[in-house]
Amino acid sequence: MNEELDSQLSAMFDNELPAAECELLARRLSRDPDIKARWGRYAVIGAVIRAERGIALEGIVAGRVSAALSSEPALSVDALQPAGRRLQYRWWQPIAGAGLAAGVAAVSILWLRSQALPDGSQAVAPALAARTAALAAPAAQALRNAIAPVPDSFVVPPVSQRSTMVVPATELADYVVAHSAFSWPVSRGNLLSALMVSEPGTSSTPARSDQPASGVQGNAIQNPK
Amino acid sequence: MSADASDLSLVRRVQRGDKGAFDALVLKYQHKLVKLVMRYVRNPAEAEDIAQEAFIKAYRALPQFRGDSAFYTWLYRIAINTAKNAVVSRDRSPVEYDLDRSNTDESYDMQGRMKDSETPEGLVLTDEIRSTVNAAIDSLPEDLRTAIVLRELEGLSYEEIAAAMACPVGTVRSRIFRAREAIDRRLREVFEGGLGRAEELG
Repeated sequence: MNEELDSQLSAMFDNELPAAECELLARRLSRDPDIKARWGRYAVIGAVIRAERGIALEGIVAGRVSAALSSEPALSVDALQPAGRRLQYRWWQPIAGAGLAAGVAAVSILWLRSQALPDGSQAVAPALAARTAALAAPAAQALRNAIAPVPDSFVVPPVSQRSTMVVPATELADYVVAHSAFSWPVSRGNLLSALMVSEPGTSSTPARSDQPASGVQGNAIQNPK
Repeated sequence: MSADASDLSLVRRVQRGDKGAFDALVLKYQHKLVKLVMRYVRNPAEAEDIAQEAFIKAYRALPQFRGDSAFYTWLYRIAINTAKNAVVSRDRSPVEYDLDRSNTDESYDMQGRMKDSETPEGLVLTDEIRSTVNAAIDSLPEDLRTAIVLRELEGLSYEEIAAAMACPVGTVRSRIFRAREAIDRRLREVFEGGLGRAEELG
């Protein structure tokens, strides 16, 4: 052997040789008894350095394994087939699983219909009807309120518990006027405020809404310093 | 560079029917495997038996090895399981163990084991190997000795050794190779003068 090959062998023993070089050297290693013997001695050197006491260093296990495997058939591509076959068998497994699940579901539905529907439908129907009526009552009331004619009056109706989410027009007008009174003069004159304030009847208390507005406006003018 | 490239290249050869490549793997890992098994059994001869069994199991299972993990990790797992099973079976039938194995299982050839590792000749050879290697290491130049010890004793990679010794990775590779060559020259004399068992594997 030349020195470069020996160096490669040493690096390969340490798993430090590039894979491409390993392929070539592995072929020689498996066939050349001298290289294999050197490889075995590298292992012995490592075992001695690690002080592996109680271990036979002359390769007893290797000799016995080699003898035991001499009667075994060599592995081949055929030996690798089982994994491939398993992969081939697997392709239909998801389909079979889905089919099985669908079958179980169909059987369950059919069984439930055949078992529960005849007797259960009579027992369940009245309760279902009562519950539907209870749920429909508030909705019907709301519908009647919506259809009823709007009174031609600006009297603020009493606030009901159900209409908390709807702000009456009068309250909205009061809020806009009051907000306008406390806002900056520039923003006070926006279109919405102007409309709400100027429109007669939008507030239930026009005098009360006008008074603070002018007062504040006056303060705002006097206030710059 | 893959950390397991050399083992994997040998494994692929075994999977394609090259038994000689498996010999190389056994030669490389036999000592480590026996040492590992000796954590479970104290008797070196029994540890060798278990290691042998683990290697044979590994060979038979190699078609299923896909290289997802490092080969030695996979091999160590097999060895540990084999050792645990051996301990359990021995504890269950401690009396039958020694009586039955020599008769029923060819791999547990007690006389063969005595001839190999427990005879005075075997022990003397092992001691001679050990003393030869230690003497060779002692006579190495400092940089070579440091490199080979960091590699074999501490298990550092070439890159880590290069960082520790403040030299290029190529220099580390060269130092380790030269250290091995120097030790191997003396060791070869022992093997060739002794049993030369490693050569018999080829």
